[in-house]
Amino acid sequence: MNLVWKLLRQHISIPQFVGFFFANLVGVVIILLGVQFYNDFKALDNEDSFMKADYLIVNKKIGALSGLTGAQNTFKKDEIDELKAEPFVEHIGAFTPSSYNVRAKFNVEGFVSFSTEMFFESVPDDFVDVESDAWTYQEGSTDIPIILPKNYLDLYNFGYAQGKGLPKLSEGILGAMKLQIQIDGNGQHGDFDGRIVGFSSRLNTILVPEQFMRWANQQYAESDAAKEPTRLIVEVSNPTDDRITSFLQDHDYETDEDKLDASKTTFILRVIVSIVMVVGVVISILSFYILMLSVFLLVQKNSTKLENLLLIGYSPAKVSFPYQALTVGLNVLVLILAVVIMLMVRGVYLEMFENFFPDLEVPGIQQALIVGVILLVIVSIFNIIAVRNKVMSIWKRKE
Amino acid sequence: MNKIQLIDTLPNVFQNRTDIVSDIWNKKVEFEKEKLYLVEANSGTGKSSLCSYIYGYRHDYQGQILFDGEDIRKYSVARWTDIRKQHFALLWQELRMFPELTAWENVEIKNKLTGHQTKEQILIWFEMLGIADKLNAKMGRISFGQQQRVALIRALCQPFDFLFVDEPISHLDDANSAIMGQIMVEEAKKQGAGIIATSIGKHIDLAYDQVFNL
Repeated sequence: MNLVWKLLRQHISIPQFVGFFFANLVGVVIILLGVQFYNDFKALDNEDSFMKADYLIVNKKIGALSGLTGAQNTFKKDEIDELKAEPFVEHIGAFTPSSYNVRAKFNVEGFVSFSTEMFFESVPDDFVDVESDAWTYQEGSTDIPIILPKNYLDLYNFGYAQGKGLPKLSEGILGAMKLQIQIDGNGQHGDFDGRIVGFSSRLNTILVPEQFMRWANQQYAESDAAKEPTRLIVEVSNPTDDRITSFLQDHDYETDEDKLDASKTTFILRVIVSIVMVVGVVISILSFYILMLSVFLLVQKNSTKLENLLLIGYSPAKVSFPYQALTVGLNVLVLILAVVIMLMVRGVYLEMFENFFPDLEVPGIQQALIVGVILLVIVSIFNIIAVRNKVMSIWKRKE
Repeated sequence: MNKIQLIDTLPNVFQNRTDIVSDIWNKKVEFEKEKLYLVEANSGTGKSSLCSYIYGYRHDYQGQILFDGEDIRKYSVARWTDIRKQHFALLWQELRMFPELTAWENVEIKNKLTGHQTKEQILIWFEMLGIADKLNAKMGRISFGQQQRVALIRALCQPFDFLFVDEPISHLDDANSAIMGQIMVEEAKKQGAGIIATSIGKHIDLAYDQVFNL
């Protein structure tokens, strides 16, 4: 093969291939970094794994007057329907409050012990992003999955425990322990085990599964009348939509503003990353064109040699191979270098992330690698076919 | 491959000519193994076309060309590659050598593909043809007559049933022509192959079984 290569490397234009190499490198680095950065950022954003970023919690403002006049701050059915009809709303669900008394006891012998009055709320299960088998309630079972607000833990750890000299609790320790729950109402009493499946920084409530809420309200509520919800959970298609803010203002509704801002940030970031990745793809496609043009030029310049090789008994596959190996080799080299550059850049920004989120768990680079390999395979297949077709056109003397 | 047959073969460009007097075009012609043929031609009678047709390089003819009774128009790319590697050696009039490679490399590039001749044998031929000193000379730097001799050696670096030599001695003196003829015949005999030689006047002095006028 050396002699064939010695022949066919004639007229190889180093500047053209260097040009391709760097253009393609830039393109592939942008694509890989886009994928990786988006994944890494998602890990930051998904600190609250129970609620997606595009969910808003909406309630009515409680003013001084409404408190005095006893005006309801609940949502009427037509108000919910009105909101549901808005174009920015994808999906809507109500918070269902508990109509019975709840008391929780937390007791670890010789370690920490407290008990408190509390309440439950539930939202439709499809708004809660927990594995479905961890978020179910079997009727008759004493086991209730619970999501607590992260604030509660912070209040205990940084306020109560700090002041009383009590040990601090981590999410992990609490998740392994059980709350003793007592429910009273309608002349009945029930004992349950509360299992904490997680802490949410977005939901300011104590959340139980919808199934449990329905059953418990039937069982323990004094009156049958279903209460109107005071809070709604809304999935929006685009959190940056101005109509959301103006609708809320017009109706005197409130939402967690900073969460809306966070949603906006994520949304804008997603758009930016998408745009950047499109730019990367365009650069890659253009660089692929440079490569194909320069290979075609090479084949053209060496067409006599290629023809003579075919005429002395070299098969088209053997004659195509050097150029196919050249292009595929370049592609592999680009991918390897691109991954190295991506890892270096990632190292820099992860360090910055870690300053803000010390216990951040970032995902691996598998997805970016898979994207890179898929790109490599697609581009290489195109290269191989294009070179082969070009050689076959020489065989068929179609010039 | 034992037999090459031409049945009413005629280049497309001659289609409308009525004045063609030829032993080959528009006739039934057979070439067999172990025989020596000479095709004498005047310029412009389609000698190079004949080479190209039989070698599967061009197909702009009417009528049929058969190898062992099979129409070569139906041959696949793989089949042609095999024929050019194992069954049919051709010395082109325009040689089709690689000027960037040395004389030795030009032969080696073919012999590497087939593994047919030993290095010693190739060196003997270089010696016999008086070009041993050009072994490492770039092909583009030696005379056409010397190139012709290298081209013959390259053509012999493969097994063949037929050896087709297109004006092999156009630039050679009589002494070298005779050596060339001797090498060709010897090698063909070894393999039981047939030889088809063309000329436009000057030809190698051999005991031809049949002479055609193209």
